[in-house]
Amino acid sequence: MGSDLVEVLINSVKLVLIFLLMVQLVPILVWVERRGSAFIQNRYGPNRVGPFGLMQLLADAVKFVFKEEFVPGKGHKLIFYAAPVVALIPGALAFAAIPLANTFHLEPFMFLGESWGPYDINFQGYNVGIGIVFILGVSSLGAYALLLAGWGSANKYSLYGALRAVAQMISYELALGLSIVGAILVYNTFDFHSIIAQQAGALSFTISGRELGIPFLPNWGIFYQPLGAFLFLVAAFAETNRLPFDLPEAESELIAGFHTEYGGMKMLMFYLGEYGHMLVASALLVTFYFGGYQLPFVSHVMIEDMLKSFGLGINMANVLTAFLFFTVFMIKCLIFLWIYVWVRWTLPRFRYDQLMDLGWKTMLPWALANTIVTAVVVFLARI
Amino acid sequence: MITGYLFYMLAFLLILFSLGVLMHSSPLFSSLNLVGSMIVLSAMYYLLQVPFIAAVQLIVYAGAVMVLFVMVMMMFDLKHEIKIFSGGFISNAIKCGLAGFFAFTIGATAFMSTEMISGSAKVKTEVLSVKSMAQLLFKDYLIEFEVLGVILLLVAVGAVALSRIKGGTHAS
Amino acid sequence: MEELVPIIALGGFVALFGTAIVVVTSLIGPKPKQNDVKDEAYECGIPGQFSGHSKVPVKYYLTAILFILFDIEIIFMYPWAVTFGDSITEGYGLQFLAAMGVFIFIFIFGLFWEVKSKALEWE
Repeated sequence: MGSDLVEVLINSVKLVLIFLLMVQLVPILVWVERRGSAFIQNRYGPNRVGPFGLMQLLADAVKFVFKEEFVPGKGHKLIFYAAPVVALIPGALAFAAIPLANTFHLEPFMFLGESWGPYDINFQGYNVGIGIVFILGVSSLGAYALLLAGWGSANKYSLYGALRAVAQMISYELALGLSIVGAILVYNTFDFHSIIAQQAGALSFTISGRELGIPFLPNWGIFYQPLGAFLFLVAAFAETNRLPFDLPEAESELIAGFHTEYGGMKMLMFYLGEYGHMLVASALLVTFYFGGYQLPFVSHVMIEDMLKSFGLGINMANVLTAFLFFTVFMIKCLIFLWIYVWVRWTLPRFRYDQLMDLGWKTMLPWALANTIVTAVVVFLARI
Repeated sequence: MITGYLFYMLAFLLILFSLGVLMHSSPLFSSLNLVGSMIVLSAMYYLLQVPFIAAVQLIVYAGAVMVLFVMVMMMFDLKHEIKIFSGGFISNAIKCGLAGFFAFTIGATAFMSTEMISGSAKVKTEVLSVKSMAQLLFKDYLIEFEVLGVILLLVAVGAVALSRIKGGTHAS
Repeated sequence: MEELVPIIALGGFVALFGTAIVVVTSLIGPKPKQNDVKDEAYECGIPGQFSGHSKVPVKYYLTAILFILFDIEIIFMYPWAVTFGDSITEGYGLQFLAAMGVFIFIFIFGLFWEVKSKALEWE
């Protein structure tokens, strides 16, 4: 985790902060969801608790903490308690693998009377060389939280809801994995940093040795893989059990699905897991298809030089540039999270057989077609 | 040195989970312990410097095969079978006998093979990158790779055929 | 490979965080009073109409098995996708494309057969 004490400290604090970022985003997202849905449905949302109703979720969390501790009579206690904890882990592990800003370099500086050496700080929890494959692996462990919750409740309807939710989740994992293959064909690497670096500058590609380019469009992945991006977005909706795919946890179906018997903070932890998965899906969409943390046409070296010319030191300029790119990344993620909320309150829900038909008979063939066409085009373009 | 500590910790966890698989009487808890051991195995693959295989182990084994196992274990109410299988003198005698036999086999093997303990075993030190793996799969062993695709197709056909024996997918 | 330490550390921290939340709320909230009605499974308020295990349809099992098979096929596409560009510049791009083309054809054939045989009909 680092060669000396300061580096270990920085890396540990980074890990904890990234997890807390995911946790803290949930109250904001729930506020956006409730106010946004109210706006779409032409009514007021919560607007009494705090300014613009921002403290509403804090009040809800305090209320949840004081709820009675409940385990269903025939339920298995350990599994019932373990399921919400297991629901948190895949989202957190996946989010820490995505780079949130550029790697910046710190020159030696003085701290507590000693000179700490030059560091390269990576704005990422940990940099696994295989990027997206690791995230796919960890996300597929999310099925266990559903299964444990459904079984530990000793309620037949919870179990059925959990089985249906898991069947839906694994069906759309295929389309998710396959739609990424197209992007990897274009970028030739698994690593997130080089994928983002290849999306810098203006749109340009080489065909048979000649270079074509459109100078006013950024070199983002969405222009190379529009169908892949759309398939990824739809599959991400189904993976996180969000409308229009939320039959397993809808209120008029199977009571409330796998979290029928949960109340209080345990229920809130399931929501944390669900919004965490939404955040990971948005971050992946931004990284693969929308340039990641970069501003279009601007590189971080340009901004660092500009800040240095204002008279700031090297360390301060690097840190400020990294935070600027982090803000850009979060704004892009928030746009996609708003799209999640928007779609939820616009489209009606799919029936379960329509949902499974869509996953196996529509999305999988289209993803295969996308892969084949991308492979042929890449082959012909680079001959 | 960190690798050493990590290896011992992961090995201890793996032994713990494997013992859990063996010693629980309910098959569901055995399956959950098996999931744990698959995840720890993935971490050990990562320690062996093949991160792609570690991720594939997570995706396929821990994320697909074990989900199937756990789903199936949850579908059945096995209290009657569990009660038949555990307890009783003959079943306990068979279990202890088998455990003793395996322990004896492993001990005898370890005792009689002296080459492994010398510590100078030649480990292949070439780095297995994804690129060399792709070369092996698609150039050197191409026919085997295509046969693998056909085998997967056969498994699909077999599974669907098996499910149709007693009335098919519409019998519920 | 020292990237394993942050992964395990983060996993342990999140598990501790969740456990702490569960423990703290169980200490703060009112103690549960045992009650026969509370212990029953929640079925929209109707007292225990359906109990015991009924048969689960075999479609769930089939979905999971077909998922395993197609997942394995997708896993084979990942190293191919990463090294496809390099193989073109090194001259044997056509062989790579043809190899995966045959594999994808087998995949499509399997998918087509499975759809046609109505293995995954959910009514």
